[in-house]
Amino acid sequence: MTEVIIPIGPQHPALKEPVNFRVVADGEKIVRLELDLSYNHRGIEKAAEQRDFIRVLPLLERVCGICSHSHTTAFAKGIEEIMQLEIPPRAQYIRTIIAELERIHSHLLWLGVAGHEIGFNTLFMWTWRDREAVQDTLEEMSGNRVHYGMNEVGGVRCDLTPAQVRAALARLPLLEERVQKYVGMVNEEETMLLRFRGVGKMTKQEALAYGAVGPTARASGVACDARHEDPYLVYAEIPWEVVTDTHGDVYGRTCVRIGEIQESTKIVRYCLEHLPEGNIRVATPKTAPTGECLSRYEAPRGELVHFIRTNGTDKVERIDIRTPTLANWTSVAMCLTGQNIADIPVIVAAIDPCLSCTSRITVIDDREKKKNAITFDELRERSRARWHAEERS
Amino acid sequence: MIDPLTLNFVTETMKGFGTVEPAGKNRFRITTTPDRLRDAIMHVQAMLGCDRLITVSAVDNSRTLELHYHFTGQHRTVITIATGLSRDKPVLATLSDLLLPAGLYERQIHDLFGISFTGHPSLKKLVLNEDFPENEYPLRKDWKPAPGRSYGGTKERREPL
Repeated sequence: MTEVIIPIGPQHPALKEPVNFRVVADGEKIVRLELDLSYNHRGIEKAAEQRDFIRVLPLLERVCGICSHSHTTAFAKGIEEIMQLEIPPRAQYIRTIIAELERIHSHLLWLGVAGHEIGFNTLFMWTWRDREAVQDTLEEMSGNRVHYGMNEVGGVRCDLTPAQVRAALARLPLLEERVQKYVGMVNEEETMLLRFRGVGKMTKQEALAYGAVGPTARASGVACDARHEDPYLVYAEIPWEVVTDTHGDVYGRTCVRIGEIQESTKIVRYCLEHLPEGNIRVATPKTAPTGECLSRYEAPRGELVHFIRTNGTDKVERIDIRTPTLANWTSVAMCLTGQNIADIPVIVAAIDPCLSCTSRITVIDDREKKKNAITFDELRERSRARWHAEERS
Repeated sequence: MIDPLTLNFVTETMKGFGTVEPAGKNRFRITTTPDRLRDAIMHVQAMLGCDRLITVSAVDNSRTLELHYHFTGQHRTVITIATGLSRDKPVLATLSDLLLPAGLYERQIHDLFGISFTGHPSLKKLVLNEDFPENEYPLRKDWKPAPGRSYGGTKERREPL
């Protein structure tokens, strides 16, 4: 049979992020693929060179709509290392709480997307509803659902009140119960087993050779986790474990992420219960001395790296951002070879490529020429009706 | 679990490849020349157990274009191999055959800094759009968008809905 080239993306119902694959296929089997990511370059690295340390954080927060806290923490801790600042423990704990809440909501979001890609939309609805509990906590703590704006160079912007801590702790048991249900589902639910098992397989050697990071690598038995390898914030002093799996397929990646939700929930609980007293930030100099720092951070999708160079002014000389998704593309391209075309969406989704989310809906009626925005509260009420019912019972 | 590497051990092992200096907590940087880069990388892989490439960072310091290859391994120490290329004719042999993930990073660096990697299997645009002008490299320090020139995107303004 002759080979055909199938273009997939940048707009494609099964891929929600602007990426283009040129898939060379022989029948139903993928022979190889080429990658083009050129649809969304926003010039953030260049723009970051023009802004001082106060104004650069909101910009870096917008690199990603899901792991927004990851980028600001990676940058802030890098600059703090160059400035040789000692960050108060309370600020470190608050950063860790936000970081782990972010990981939980990101992994729940991923589990929903993965369910959606295999046509299991019930899972998608469930996980995204459960994710609201995390989003609520983040909104209560920071005032925002997506870009929390918690970090600044030298500490965090908002303190946590005892009432916020109590409210956050009160939400955890229901979340843990729900996640326990997903642990059962991933091992028993026929739909998930059939579409996840043996799909997109990658061995440990391959994961190392292709430079895979995060849950993608950990599902192949590579115990790489920047929180463990290069401890930052409070990860060196609190109890937690790196979650790995040896299946190496989409099923393994699902198990790792669900395990990480459980591990992150424990970290959040520990940090909330052991939140030290004290200041939440220190005074910082306006400028940073000439220096260089490779700041590693374990974002939900894998290791995020900011390579920062300062030049004695209040701006960076250079910031080089390597996002986990860029590191994982090579492994996707390799994983897809020999697989079925129908498995492209779920294999691509299994690295959790980064996509932005939004929380408002606009209804446009073409005939009536009416534009009608559903308010945030209306949308929430619709989606939360059942959640409320369960919370009460 | 293996112990982190020490400065003495790294200096001893990397003798002849360039200067070794500490670059932060548990990080060492080896500055080498472009022609010794490949050997230096093979040496850290073989002798220092650096089995993972974290990333390749590029910096324009107005005199040279610097490339930093960051590695780590079981010992959890980050070893950076840095080298500088001339800004006028930045050419380097590709390392994508030796380090698979470097293939994508090299494409990105080629887009943004204009470093040519000879022998790369497909050094096509990766992050910049297809109608971005040729021979313009936005992350170089002296780059400014030329007024009136198109850098891609829709040309005409469309009426809002």
